[in-house]
Amino acid sequence: MSPWKALKITKHILFWCLLLLIMAVVLFPIYWMLVTSVKEPLEYATRNPSWFPHRITFEHYREIWKEGAYRYFLNTVFVAFGSTLLSLGVAFPAAYGLARFRFPAKLDLIFLLWVLLVRMAPPVVLAIPLYTTLQSFGLLNKLTGLVIAYQIYTLPYSIWMLLRFVRDVPIEVEEAAAIDGASRLRTLTAIVFPLVGPGLVATAIFSVIMTWNEFIYALLFLRRPEVFTLPIHIAHFITEYEVLWGPLMAIGIMSSLPILILSGYVQRHLLRGFAISFK
Amino acid sequence: MRRFGRWRRKYSYFLFLLPALILIVFLTVYPLARVFYLSFYRYNPIRRVERFVGFANYLRLFSDRFFLTGLKNTFLFSVGATVTEVLLGLGLALMFNVKFRGRKLFLPLVIFPMMFSTMVICAIWRSMYHYDYGIFNYALRSLGFEPVKWLINKDLALWSVVLVDIWQWTPMAFLILLAGLQSIPGELYEAARVDGATGTRLFRHITLPLLRNHIFLALLLRSIDTFKIFDKVYALTGGGPGTATETISFYIYRQGFTYFNMGRASAAAVVMFLAVSAVSLIYIRQVWRGEE
Repeated sequence: MSPWKALKITKHILFWCLLLLIMAVVLFPIYWMLVTSVKEPLEYATRNPSWFPHRITFEHYREIWKEGAYRYFLNTVFVAFGSTLLSLGVAFPAAYGLARFRFPAKLDLIFLLWVLLVRMAPPVVLAIPLYTTLQSFGLLNKLTGLVIAYQIYTLPYSIWMLLRFVRDVPIEVEEAAAIDGASRLRTLTAIVFPLVGPGLVATAIFSVIMTWNEFIYALLFLRRPEVFTLPIHIAHFITEYEVLWGPLMAIGIMSSLPILILSGYVQRHLLRGFAISFK
Repeated sequence: MRRFGRWRRKYSYFLFLLPALILIVFLTVYPLARVFYLSFYRYNPIRRVERFVGFANYLRLFSDRFFLTGLKNTFLFSVGATVTEVLLGLGLALMFNVKFRGRKLFLPLVIFPMMFSTMVICAIWRSMYHYDYGIFNYALRSLGFEPVKWLINKDLALWSVVLVDIWQWTPMAFLILLAGLQSIPGELYEAARVDGATGTRLFRHITLPLLRNHIFLALLLRSIDTFKIFDKVYALTGGGPGTATETISFYIYRQGFTYFNMGRASAAAVVMFLAVSAVSLIYIRQVWRGEE
């Protein structure tokens, strides 16, 4: 074997060792959640936890279901989909207006940059006045109140995402429709809307993921257990019970599944979706 | 009526923006103004106190041991997490920029962690960090080492939280840098190789300079994000032990929502907003240039 080839093979082996090591580090915590959720307490609440479960049990899943975890599920679904729908409904016309018209005094640009600034500001900064505002509207401890508060995250995000998708629609298509006598509104609903469709879906999915996982506003604005969302329920679980890990991990898995399935659809858009988003 | 009709035709496009504009003003402009206003007041809604105190809240802030510790910890957390995430992300991106068998399969797995809710991640890591029953200490003990007080040791707790952030968000830096690497045309490398350049020199003279903007973007976005750290502190350590993991967000949360010292909390919020905005403006200026 020539030394050149030996070097190449060594490099190849090193590369794969490194890759597998990285995958182990990345995936181990998820594996650990999975196995803990199906172990019996004797196998995790011990100084010698087992690497592989000796006996698999679905007791913890039954237990969380019996204790009414579906309620937190429904709350989370309502908040995530509610805030996403509201955002898209408001952001789509806004994105269209911003993409197609020049506003006086650079108003459009100022609006866009303000929204971006807000997107990056710490959520806790706005929490105090929002708390009193929601309180005065009677929206504290209400899921609708959280839907409105979440517009701080989802609206700026949706406007920016949709703006890029609307810009990808060639203006000639609209001009042709206008020549055929279609009104602005008709062009918007019959021509632009379907063309932006895939972009809308991607934006919606990211928005659902974002609100599904949101923590701080849910913690501050929902103080009664019957309106808890999944992250808040999990947080209470973590801080109240020291080592009740079986049910905790079972809830963790159940609450992550919908998100993992959804994220499969947006692999292609990941960068666009995340670069101006998240948390 | 006629004049109105013309005006309507000319400015009707404002209607597209109007709902978004109203929501944004209601949800951001008004609350920000209110936070700024409150920061000059002694305000406690529970005890029904509202009294103008000028800059007293700000002055108190900078003699408050908790706030100063929070500032220091936030800074350490942000720098530690950001730098590590971008370096690891760069390494990963270089690996995945090469074509190898199974690349398409591994790529979605690598970015897995950032899909999970932070609370789920905290649940997992808190169980792994557990002093008696955690898998880390079990592994250490079986290898003959002393167990480590991951979240209980005041010199270590902050870095244990940093580690969780690194695990969760390195994928983000990775994605940004991978996109950057893939935008570098391959001919550049070929041309340099013809001129006799190899390995490290290619990296130093072609990859790094051309990747500069993406590295900068990754550093910027991660540092802004880590500066807000709240949820992990809440779920993993509760700010403790002592004040070892107190951060600015956590300080505002406790002042505002545990002690209802809303004036002081608002002052801290204004300081924090200004600090984050100063960094955000660098990013926003770039976007502005791109848009114009």
